[in-house]
Amino acid sequence: MSYENQTFEAKPLPARFKQISFGLLFLGLVLSALAFTIDSHRALANYNVIFSLLVSVVVGNLFLFAIEYLSGAVWSTVMRRVNEIFISFVPIVFVLGLLILFNSHSIFHWAHEEAVKTDKLLQWKSPYLNESFFIIRYFIYFVVWILFALVMIKNSFNQDKSKDQILTYKNSRLSGAFIPFFAITLTFFSIDFLMSTEPHWFSTIFGVYYFSGTVLAALSVLTLAVIFLHEQGYFGNILRRDHFYNFGALLFAFVNFWAYIAFSQFLLIWYANLPEETFWMIHRWEKGWEIFSFILIFGHFVIPYFSLLSQQAKSNLNRLKFMAIWILLMHYIDLYWLVMPSLYKEVVFGWIEISFIILGVGIILVLFIWRYERIKNIVPVGDPKLKRSLEFHL
Amino acid sequence: MRTIDYTIEPPVIEGNPSLSSINDDIARPLETKPPKSWYIAISISLTMLLTGAVCLAITFIEGVGVWGVNQPVGWGFDIVNFVFWVGIGHAGTLISAILFLLRQRWRTAISRFAEAMTIFAVICAGLFPAIHTGRPWLDGYLLPYPNQHSLWVNFTSPLLWDVFAVSTYFTVSLVFWYIGLIPDLASLRDRTTNKIKKLIYSILSLGWRHSSRHWNHYEMAYLILAGFATPLVLSVHTIVSFDFAVSIMPGWHTTIFPPYFVAGAVFSGFAMVQNVLILIRKVFKFEHIITLDTLEKMNKVMLVTGMMVGYAYIMEFFISWYSGNQFERFVFLNRALGPYAWSYWIMVSCNVLFIQLFWFRKIRRSIPVMFIIGVLVNVGMWFERFVIVVTSLSRDYLPSSWGMYIPTIFDIGILIGSFGLFFTLIFLFIRTLPVVSIAEVKAVLPKSQSSYGGSH
Amino acid sequence: MENKPLYSVSATFNDINKVYEAIQKINEVGYKNYDVHTPYPVHGLPHAMKLKSSKLGWVTLIFGFSGAIFAFLFMYWVNVIDYPLVVGGKPFYQLPAYIPVIFEVTVLSASVFTVVWMLFILFKFPNNSHPLIDTDYIKRVSVDRFGISIQANDEIFELNKVKEFLKSLGAEEIFEIYYKVDELKDRPRIFDKKFLAFLALTSIVVSAITYFILNQLLFMSPFNWMHEQFRINPQTSTTVFKDGFGMRNPVEGTVARGYLPYPFKGKPAEAEMNLVNPLIPTQQVLKLGREKYLTFCSPCHGNFGFGDSRLKGQFPNPPTLHSDRLIKMKDGGIFHIITEGQNVMPGYASQMTVDERWAVVHYIRVLQRAVNPKESDLR
Repeated sequence: MSYENQTFEAKPLPARFKQISFGLLFLGLVLSALAFTIDSHRALANYNVIFSLLVSVVVGNLFLFAIEYLSGAVWSTVMRRVNEIFISFVPIVFVLGLLILFNSHSIFHWAHEEAVKTDKLLQWKSPYLNESFFIIRYFIYFVVWILFALVMIKNSFNQDKSKDQILTYKNSRLSGAFIPFFAITLTFFSIDFLMSTEPHWFSTIFGVYYFSGTVLAALSVLTLAVIFLHEQGYFGNILRRDHFYNFGALLFAFVNFWAYIAFSQFLLIWYANLPEETFWMIHRWEKGWEIFSFILIFGHFVIPYFSLLSQQAKSNLNRLKFMAIWILLMHYIDLYWLVMPSLYKEVVFGWIEISFIILGVGIILVLFIWRYERIKNIVPVGDPKLKRSLEFHL
Repeated sequence: MRTIDYTIEPPVIEGNPSLSSINDDIARPLETKPPKSWYIAISISLTMLLTGAVCLAITFIEGVGVWGVNQPVGWGFDIVNFVFWVGIGHAGTLISAILFLLRQRWRTAISRFAEAMTIFAVICAGLFPAIHTGRPWLDGYLLPYPNQHSLWVNFTSPLLWDVFAVSTYFTVSLVFWYIGLIPDLASLRDRTTNKIKKLIYSILSLGWRHSSRHWNHYEMAYLILAGFATPLVLSVHTIVSFDFAVSIMPGWHTTIFPPYFVAGAVFSGFAMVQNVLILIRKVFKFEHIITLDTLEKMNKVMLVTGMMVGYAYIMEFFISWYSGNQFERFVFLNRALGPYAWSYWIMVSCNVLFIQLFWFRKIRRSIPVMFIIGVLVNVGMWFERFVIVVTSLSRDYLPSSWGMYIPTIFDIGILIGSFGLFFTLIFLFIRTLPVVSIAEVKAVLPKSQSSYGGSH
Repeated sequence: MENKPLYSVSATFNDINKVYEAIQKINEVGYKNYDVHTPYPVHGLPHAMKLKSSKLGWVTLIFGFSGAIFAFLFMYWVNVIDYPLVVGGKPFYQLPAYIPVIFEVTVLSASVFTVVWMLFILFKFPNNSHPLIDTDYIKRVSVDRFGISIQANDEIFELNKVKEFLKSLGAEEIFEIYYKVDELKDRPRIFDKKFLAFLALTSIVVSAITYFILNQLLFMSPFNWMHEQFRINPQTSTTVFKDGFGMRNPVEGTVARGYLPYPFKGKPAEAEMNLVNPLIPTQQVLKLGREKYLTFCSPCHGNFGFGDSRLKGQFPNPPTLHSDRLIKMKDGGIFHIITEGQNVMPGYASQMTVDERWAVVHYIRVLQRAVNPKESDLR
């Protein structure tokens, strides 16, 4: 195979791409700052949505990284460095979330003392839903994520030079230890930032629901980045249809999984018809919010399902690029749908939301550029599974 | 530190056997007389089956009053066993279908057997809804056909969704299994000298002649079936979980039931498959086909799904407090400290505690220890269904309605009978049909695929 | 060997790579009617043979869709049109509750029809009389050989040429395969007369058995044991009670559900004094009152209360409702008359509910006021 002569060094990103990314970030910052001055409550709610999306993307990529080691998969090894770029965002995402942390009284009803005084249910939940514990838990989540992320990707980087198989073994063990921590921290993160925006409501499947969207977000972003780099020649000619097929298959599988979890949650609440649970669903079916519900059903499930159903579609690069962007957008709609109807009885969607979407995209792109420039090789050249990965056939 | 070499792919079949030795090894149990141990084994399982049959007959004659079910605990062993057996069946489809979609080649040695176990487990499971009304001859009313009462079934009830789900699951699993069998039956037809066997194999293999033009469609059909079987298996246990979760019972109505049940089903199913495979590979000397690596991978799957079950326990427990719902809170305290606490702690220790031993590679690769853990997992998962069904029913909203459930000898007899049925079917299977898929195993041997092959 | 026609020349190989190279050469030479036989599916082989990828997926899609639509329409018809039942307070049309069954039926029809289509239509199975069955060639292939079979009906087929050609490709053994039966039926075997007869017979037998089970067997012993129950059925005698009657009277003082005992039975004056009309004369109440009046009262008292119905002229005349007595009578008195009746008039307590009777009272007041309006009404 011709790859034996390639060096896999990470070539610099095109200038135009960097310009567009910084431009978007700048635009996003300006518009969202403006939004904060005009309607800080709505701005912060939007910021919560975008922040949760970022956590999805970053921690989701960490999950995919761990799964590759645990399952012994080889198809993704050659692309794992891109995955590691996204993982390395974690410390910055931690900083980005502080804004919500110290403004929690704005969007979290349980942080309002007067409300808690008169509401028995909020009083009951106050040992968990109070600002100090909220902050402590935030630190716990991010300490766990940052530790695992930094140690594991450091192992991967070191392996470039040392080519020591022990590092793969270590990362496998760390990945195994990570998964249970991941499950618990991601679940409680979603409860804290998303489910508690409606503090009277609860659902035991909520963590799984957020997880299903998280994997989709991480996959979408990874797919886009890998295809972009491949089409611009950064990977040379080492990636083949066989590699890309798995992206399509995984996106398809998790779209189905998301739909399954979403439908289960809905059906059980609808069927039992208990007012303490149904009100949350009813909010999302009236006063204009039903539009978003329909968008989710058709956009987050039906369209991606039929779009990625056939075998050819799963490895068609154009289809994959389009669906990756589409699914990421749908994940944003999903998070928006989780948060906003609890804060706004009537549907809201306007320039403020668009500003924050631009901000989110800008953040992801700029962080990608920043972390990309810190890597030496675009392929984990010291990984023992690399040869099998390059030769991977379906 | 132990060294694994990540640069090489671990072989699926050990010892690099020839293609013809695969045929010989796998067909041998079908062409030789069974050893004494087989006769002893099937006598035991037939005795268990007979016990169950007798208890069942008495139940039909006397009525379900001979069981321990009462008000408020209207569902007892009957439903616990139903959920248990449906769960066992899920491992087979996961191995056949999901591992196929994930292109895990190690599934080939065990998929035939696992699929067979699915079918047998679903048969055992399907018995329970059929008998639990005490009047199984009226089961025809479960199906939507025009009748003299002009009545239809209640399509909006999860109990009816079960009828559709389990029958679909049975049919599709049977069809999937049969499709996989056709090439092997053709091979057996071509090698047997016994006239009767030849006739049977010829009829069943439909005239398969290993044509590539047929393999082309066959592979597509196999992929399609695997692609459908995957959501099907998720949907079946999801619908079983809906039996409980659509209600308003505390301890039953909770949104995490669907994925929780599916994970639990895979957990217990893999434990049962692992147990039986350990026996099969020893008896048939298939250690080079059903390798220790395969068993270790199965144990890893058990660890993962066991942790998913543990996650669900944590979530239920947390939300029972978070929701502020006193009835929900009580259910969980009652499970741990009430009159059925002994069953709860068996469940927790088997499902959450002992399974943690599989973190250690040495234990994952030790046959006796993994066998015991597999048995404990099945015990734990049976008790999980017992805890869910019985404790929630025995103490729900109104204390004046509380009551205990005490299983009778007939309940236990029927449970034993279901195990008897399951193992009898397995023992019959292993001597009449090839336990390992000959064609699939050949396809994953090294050097079996051409160097021109592979994709574009 | 009789002079049966030749089906093909088949050769076995023991190296899959040789088979690949052979296929390239076969394509170059131009043979079209050939097949490759392998004991297991070999990747890339159909591609090398220039076979198009299987279109079976379309069968799946069509049958899956049909299954889904059929299931949905059937449940819709059953629940909304044919026999609507209120279950659990839910509406008749409940799409979320239909989804599980729709899903299962989709999977069932897609999977089963795909396999049936593949086996019976694409493969034309069962086909145990194919010339290749039971040959040494196929017996080798079943174990560990790969085979190439060039059919005699190919355009450029020539027996010796083909044999030499295959030898040159590195074949291990070469076989001449002859037909065993006179002709190979090419249509799908499911249209075979014998098979159709078998299907018809099976349907008849299954229908007969089903009819027997559902209409006869279920009413035979022991399945009819629960038809005879130990309970006392209506209008049967029993030895449990001294008087031998199975049916008992309710206990003294029992009232039916929704029934309130009328405290002023036979006491019109007290009724007039104590009963107060609980209804307000709203549009709705008056409408109800008018409806009930026209139904029950107008046949005797006339449409407007003048007593001018078709009974007028017969003894005793139904009285007018605009008499002084009735105008002065309080609502409770009128209510009592409606409830209990008076003279020839029967009581209407069993035809109208309490509220309906009060509504009629209001309506009677409307009629009275229309005939004897107040000063304020006329302005």
